[in-house]
Parts: sequence; C-alpha cells; structure tokens
Amino acid sequence: MLVSYNQRRNIKRTAIRILVILFLFVQMYPVLWMLMAAFKSPGDMTSLPAYALPTELYFKNFSTAWTTGRMSIFFRNSLIVTISSLFFIVFFSSTTSFALIKMKWKGQQLIASLFLMGIMVPVTIVLLPLFQIYMKLGLLNTYWSLIITYTGFGLSLSIFLISNYMRSMPDDIIEAAFIDGCNLYSLFFRIIVPLIKNALVTVVIIQFFFRWNDLIFSMTFISRTSMKTIQTGLMYFSDEYGSKNWGAIFAAISMGVTPTLLLYIVLNKFVIEGMTSGAVKG
Amino acid sequence: MKELLGNRKAVMLFVLPALFIYLFSVFIPILWSAAYSLYRGMPGLSFEFNGLNNYVKMWSDTMFIGSFTVTLKYVLIVVAGQVGLGFLLSLMFVFGIKKYTTLVRTLVFFPVVLPVVAVGQLFSKIVEISPQYGLLNSLLATIGLDSLVQPWLGQSSTALGVLCTMDIWTAMGFYAVIFYAALVEIPQDIIEAARIDGASGIKLTSKIILPLLRPITMTCFIFSFTGTLKVFESALALTRGGPGVSTKTLSMYMYDASFLYSQYGYGSAIAVFVLLECFFVSVVLNRFFKSRMM
Amino acid sequence: MRAFKGMKVLGFVILVCCLHVNLFAGGQADENTIQFLSIWAEDKDNSKLLLELTEEYKKENPDFNLEFELVAAENLRQKVKVLVASDSVPDVFVYEAGKPIVELIDGGILLDMEKTFTDLGLMDTLDPGAVSLLKRLADNRGLYDLPLGMNVEGIWYNKKMFADLGLDVPETWSELMDVCEVLHQNGIQPFTAGGKDKWPITRVINMYVMRRMGVDAMERGSKGEISFTDPGFVEAGHVIQDMVRKGYFGEGIVTVDMSSAADALFSGQAAMFYNGSWFTQDLNDTERNLLGPDGVGFFNIPVVEGGVGKLDDYSVNCGNILVLSAKAYDEELTGEWLKYVFSRFGDYAMETTGTFKGFKVSNMPDNVPTYTRIVGEELAKVNNAGLWFEASMDDKTTQVAQNFAQSLFNLEMTPEQYFEEIEKSSKEYREKN
Repeated sequence: MLVSYNQRRNIKRTAIRILVILFLFVQMYPVLWMLMAAFKSPGDMTSLPAYALPTELYFKNFSTAWTTGRMSIFFRNSLIVTISSLFFIVFFSSTTSFALIKMKWKGQQLIASLFLMGIMVPVTIVLLPLFQIYMKLGLLNTYWSLIITYTGFGLSLSIFLISNYMRSMPDDIIEAAFIDGCNLYSLFFRIIVPLIKNALVTVVIIQFFFRWNDLIFSMTFISRTSMKTIQTGLMYFSDEYGSKNWGAIFAAISMGVTPTLLLYIVLNKFVIEGMTSGAVKG
Repeated sequence: MKELLGNRKAVMLFVLPALFIYLFSVFIPILWSAAYSLYRGMPGLSFEFNGLNNYVKMWSDTMFIGSFTVTLKYVLIVVAGQVGLGFLLSLMFVFGIKKYTTLVRTLVFFPVVLPVVAVGQLFSKIVEISPQYGLLNSLLATIGLDSLVQPWLGQSSTALGVLCTMDIWTAMGFYAVIFYAALVEIPQDIIEAARIDGASGIKLTSKIILPLLRPITMTCFIFSFTGTLKVFESALALTRGGPGVSTKTLSMYMYDASFLYSQYGYGSAIAVFVLLECFFVSVVLNRFFKSRMM
Repeated sequence: MRAFKGMKVLGFVILVCCLHVNLFAGGQADENTIQFLSIWAEDKDNSKLLLELTEEYKKENPDFNLEFELVAAENLRQKVKVLVASDSVPDVFVYEAGKPIVELIDGGILLDMEKTFTDLGLMDTLDPGAVSLLKRLADNRGLYDLPLGMNVEGIWYNKKMFADLGLDVPETWSELMDVCEVLHQNGIQPFTAGGKDKWPITRVINMYVMRRMGVDAMERGSKGEISFTDPGFVEAGHVIQDMVRKGYFGEGIVTVDMSSAADALFSGQAAMFYNGSWFTQDLNDTERNLLGPDGVGFFNIPVVEGGVGKLDDYSVNCGNILVLSAKAYDEELTGEWLKYVFSRFGDYAMETTGTFKGFKVSNMPDNVPTYTRIVGEELAKVNNAGLWFEASMDDKTTQVAQNFAQSLFNLEMTPEQYFEEIEKSSKEYREKN
C-alpha cells in the first residue's frame, strides 16, 4: 500500500516534471529562436531552415541594428517617454481607483464607466483627431505628445486592474487608520499604496510593454529623426519592394526587448515579496 | 469616517488630473471621430455631410460583413482559449508545480513582451512550407504523417486557426498572471477548510475557487473580448489578411477604408461600430456575472 | 512604506529628467527649411542620393536646411492622408503613382511639375519615356510628379541550372512551359514568387494578360472599354492555375514573402523569379546572393502564340515617385534647390549607385556591375511599355485584385470568379465617379 502510494507519487512527479519541461520549451522557444535568427548571417538565413542553429555567430547584425537603426537615440527617447508616462499612469490610476472604490461621492458610477470605455477604443480611430489637436497646440514632435497619449490610453486598463484589487481590500484597514488619526492623504500614501503594490507592479509591467512597443502613435506624431522611438527603428530594415534584412530586424528586436524582460524579471521578485508579506499579514 | 471619505476636495484632487488627460486624449478624439462618421470622403480632399448613410451602407457591404464574420469567429475562439488556458495555467502555478512556480511564471510571460512583428514572423516560420518546411511540417514529415503536411497559412481552412493559436499562445501568460495574483489572495484557510471537508481537484476548483474569482474572471473576459474585437496588428504581421480575405478583420478593413480608400467617414463609422460592439459585450458580461453573483 | 519611498524617488528622477531633457524640444521649423518625407532611410537608395546632393547644395547655400522624415513604406499612405486631412503636407514627399496620386492632383494638393520644371529650365533633364509613363499613370492629367526610378520587369533565372539541363531561354509561352516541365521533372521548383505580399503574384497573372491581350489591356478594362470577364483575362487565370496544379510554384506559394522568394532563387531552391529591375540591389549583395555576380540571368516575358503582345513590349514602372506640395512651394527656396539637385540627379545616381532614375544620363560610367548593365540593355530595348496589373485600378479594386489573387493561386477561387470580382469592383467605381 505504502509502496504503491510512493510509486504513484513518483510517477506523478515525473509526469509533472516532463510537462513543465515541455511547457518551458514552448515558452522559451521564441526567445531562443529570435536570438538564433539575430546571429544568422544573410547566407545562413537563405540556406538554413528557420529552426537550425547559425553556422557562425554573426555579430554584424547587431552593429547594423545599432548604427543603421539609430538605436542609441531611439532607446533614449523611448526610455524618456515610457518612464514618464508610466509614472503618470501609475500615480493617476491609483489615486483615481481609490476615489472610485473607497470614497463616496456623486457621479462615481458614471466616471467609472467612462474610464472603462477607454479599453474598447480602437487606436487607429483617434489618430487623425489627435494629430489635429496636437498640431493646433504645437505639440507635434514633442515628447509630451506621446506622454499624454500613452497616459490617456494606459489609464483605463490600469484603473480597471487597480480598482478590482482595491475592491477586495477590507474597509476596516481604512477605519483603523482614521481612528489612529491619519488624514486622507497620508492614508492613501502610507497605507493604501503599500497594500496595492502587487497590482501596481502588474500595471507597470503591462503598461511598460504596451508603451514600449508602440509604433503607430510615435510614427504619426513624431516626424523628426532625433525624436523617434525604438520601434520606428525597425523601419530601417525593409525596403519598398518588401525585401527585408531579417537578421538585423531580429538583432534590433532582441535589443529592444531586453529592458522589458529585465524589468519583468526584477519586478517578478517584488511580486513574490509582496505575496509573502501578505501571507504574514493574513 | 463617512465625512472623511466624502471629502470633495480630495476627490477632485484624486480624479480630476486623470480625467482631464483621459478626456483630452481618448474621449474627445472619439467624439470627433463620431462626428466624422457622418461624412463621406476624406477631410482635405472631398468631404461632405452624409447623415447616417455610412451606418446603413455597412449592412450591404460584403467586405464589411465578411470581415465582421471573420472577427466574430476569431473572437470566440481566442477569448475561450486565452481566458481558459490562462486560468488553467494559474491553477498549475499554485497547486501543480509549487517548486518551479517562479521560473515558470517568469517564462510564461515571455511571449507577452515580444513585439508582434517578431511573434508573427516566428509563427509563419514554424508553419512554413516553402521554400523549406518549417518546424511543424518537418515534424509531421519525420513522424510519417506526410498527408498532414500542408500550407497552413496558404489556405482559408487553416489560416484563421494558426492566427488564433498564435494569439492564444501570446496572451495566455498575461491572463495566467492576472488569475495568479487573484488566486494567491484567496486566504489559505478557506482552501484548507474545503480540503478538510473532502473537496479536491475539479470540485474544489468549481465550488470554491471559481466563485471567489468571479470579479477577476469578468475582468479577464472583458479584456479579452475588447482586445480581440480590435485585433489588427497580429493579423497584419502573420497573414496580412490573407489568403484572400480569410483573416481580414474588421479593424483591418477600417484601416483600409480610412487610409487607403480615402473613405475616412466610412472608416470612422466602422470604428464607432466596433466601439459599440465592445460596449455591448461588456454590458452583457457585466450583467451575466452580476446576476450569477446573487 | 517602501513603495511610497520608491515613488518619491521615481518622482524625483522624472522631475530631473524633465528639467534635463526639454520635453517640449522641437518647435517650429524656420523659413529656410523644407521638409522631406521619404520611405528610404537617410543612407539608403533615393534618400541617400537626394540628401548627398542637398549637402553639396548647402555648401553654397549655408542657410538652406532640409528636414528629413522617414516613414515605413507600408504606412506611407496613412501618414500622407493624415497630413492631407490636417492641411500640413510636407514640401517634398515620396508617394505612389497611379490612383493614389490622381486623388491628390484632383484635390489640388500637388505642384504642377511640368510648369515648374519648364520655368526652372529643367524639363530637358527628364527622360521622355519616364515622362510619358508618369503622365499615363496620372490618367493624363499632366505631370505632377518626378520619377525616382525606371524599372523593367521580367524573369530572373538561375543560369547554372538552365545550362546544366541544357535549357535555352524561352521565347514563347509554350517553350516556357517546356522549361518548367523539364525543371520540375528534375526535382527543381521552376518558379518562386512573393505570394504573401500579394502584389508580386498579380504581376505573374499580368505576364500572361499582357502577352495575350496587349500592353494596354488592363487600362482598357479599368476604363470599361472591355470587360475583365473577357475570355483573354480568364484564360490567363486558367494558365496560372494549371501551373500551380502541376507544382511549378511549389507548395503554398501564397505564404512566401518577397524576401524568402529572393532567397529561394539565391539558394537554388527555385529556378525562376518574376521581379523588377529594383531587384539588382539584392542581386549585387554578395552576402545574400549565393549565386554570385554572374549567376543570375534575365529574360523578358515570352510571347503567347496567337496573342497580341510582342517580345519588345516590356512591363515597366517607376516605383515610388516624388511630389511637391503646391501650397508650400516657394520658387526662391524650393525652386533653387530643385534646380541644383535635379540637374545632377540622373548622372549622380548612375555614377554612385548604377541605377536608372528616369532622368537622362549623360555620362555612362565604364565599369558597372553585371546586373546593372543587364537592366540598362533591357531598358534600351523597350518599344511598348505596359503597366503593372493594378496601375489603372482604384484603391478598392486594387485590394480586391490583390487579396483574391491569393485565392486564385491557392485554387480556392476559379479564374471566372476572380475576374468577376475585379469587374464588379471596377464597375462600381466607374459608376460612382
């Protein structure tokens, strides 16, 4: 009885292990493949199947991507607009969510659904109106044009996420804080913000990824090369007749994706930290 | 306490900046476009008032109806896949593989952060048939299933399937992480108590976990619906709407109408339609989940 | 607590950033600046040529400034439409010939180039063949654009494969089919094409149409003089589908993009590839073209027995074209620049990149790459010029023709249905306008 139980457990464990490995492979494959493609010479691209290893490590793709794709300028621009808009998104969506969920005032429902509507907007449709607005305000070719747009479009989803998280928070915490003599602002910054850290981290990761990968806004509002963002760099590798330098494209993508991956790996640690502290608290 | 939480000055301070930015960059442009949708032609070239004709014209436009059908099929499959698999994955993180959770959870998110261009190219290489067999076709050929080797993206019957698979695969990690965040919030004692009562496996999931996750499930469904109804970039990167028009989605048609056919008014009308559609689905979902919660 | 502190730090960092990097950087251009919107990067192709000539011009006119903007070729139409709608088209920009430009001409957006070039005394620099081509593409409204290329299209083939199998360059369609059959028997895929990009395969249909019905068949069809459902068009569809069925295009041709198709030719996976002379830049790329500087040959589309087309009828095109804003044109600023740049453009392009631009070349350099020489020889042989498949179609019909070309090539649509769709869309457009 005992043996068979142990055997069963072993089998189960092995099965799970195999599943995990298989699953990891499926998830890792694109990244491996992308790196492989980034290191392939044009000759390898031509003659080898897509899943084959490159015959030599062809670093020229990276130097081409860096210089031709003007990655150093674009990287800087992308960092500036992404981080700024991320700051505004996180800040505004947490204050708004707090007001929407935990505070009591007239018109709460209306404002909540107004914000919710934002996740349904197809991006292409705001291009022309926004372009015209920014043109009249002289905001074309400025970082602000992107920061404002990114923030506006990031708010809905973030408010949605944070609100959901806050809703499950018990009200007694707030009550206790008031009894201790907290005012509303110190309650928000000292009690609420630390408690919703998990949600904020999720928002940061998701929004970073969305804003970092934007092409259509930056292409429409920014015309000056010195102001362009990282995704526009990919334009430098295809020509009018559809011929593409895939090696350089993947080198550029690999470099462009690094900050997002790093951010995720770092923040992922925080999520776990937040979890354990939550467990202690609970 | 009521007084403190009803502080109007604080509400304004907390909400107004966000509301202002939002109205400015999202809401006003939408109204602007809604106004455009009553015109025909392209501003700057020829643009004249057309009343509600664009909205009427849609329903006799075969291209519109075709892309609408494609979008619906796509949405149904992808929403089910993204939310369903996302949920299963999150269960796996919590219950199945405690040891490797961190690693798996990190990796499952990888596809989410890859740019669509890269994922599209990756998938078209995986299912490639010419000039060389891709991973899938070589695999089929190696294990002797030659009859199954086919141009996956080159025929209407399979192209949409590949597109759906790609988008499910890309986004399921996102939903898994959202579900996971909610799952770990469930107090351990509730699950322990249920376990002691003899609930396990499917019963534990359906009777205890799912009801507790209802709000987040609704969130996921709404995300997934609104995200997929707008599908544009992934279809463009993988198939460019082909072969024929078998993967041409509503958003792609909207883009074509607005910027290629110079029917900006008509394009705006389609956009407003997509928006209303999303709105409708969200309301329905909201109702559904609320009524079930009672 | 820590999150709060983190937020403070982040806020501070951003504040510093804001102060350090002026978020409003940019602002308005001064009056000595002209804007140039292009689809080629600064160091590529026509952008490179124009920018280098502009640098030379700036040496004599230090106040002059050209502001460059790059947009991806596939987003060009969207970008320009947004600019047109907002009444802020750039001074000089790259656009597409055919209906796209006709629409802008009719909207009064574009500068009349015939008048401008005559005033500036530049008319002589243009190649007359290119001028008549551009006028024809603009539906005879006049000359509103400048050529940036002059291309012939035809079949590029692997010379070694042909030689190994003792194959001659085919001159008739049935010879071409024989060649295909021999290649196919020997396990070689005869043709490759960029079916995923759609337009490359309508050109394949056009090969047959042009030879069977003559160089102006598509234009007559678009004007309604003949119907696209006429037997000649449908026959072209059947011929193509036969070739697909026999495996002459390999498997899943509609999934292959232009880059992979070129690579298939270069790596010996396919023997022939229909493409334009812009292909020379890939052919001259020694890292990509594994067949070497003399491994690929060119022949014009073989004639169809009993058809109207002849062997000196060529499919030609000018690629993307250059247009100027009528409103923003300033004779002293833009005109002087035009005068300097375009009096040298043709020669400069030939001298530095060995390409034909639709401008006269007065000095032919001695040692040009083989592939460039081939193109020059073929261009000289052009007697009647045919346009590409969609050149005369409106935007929507173009989409119909291109989307459903895939359905024709994967046999999901019959030739009759295919041309029916084109006729229907084309007719709808004619009736509306």
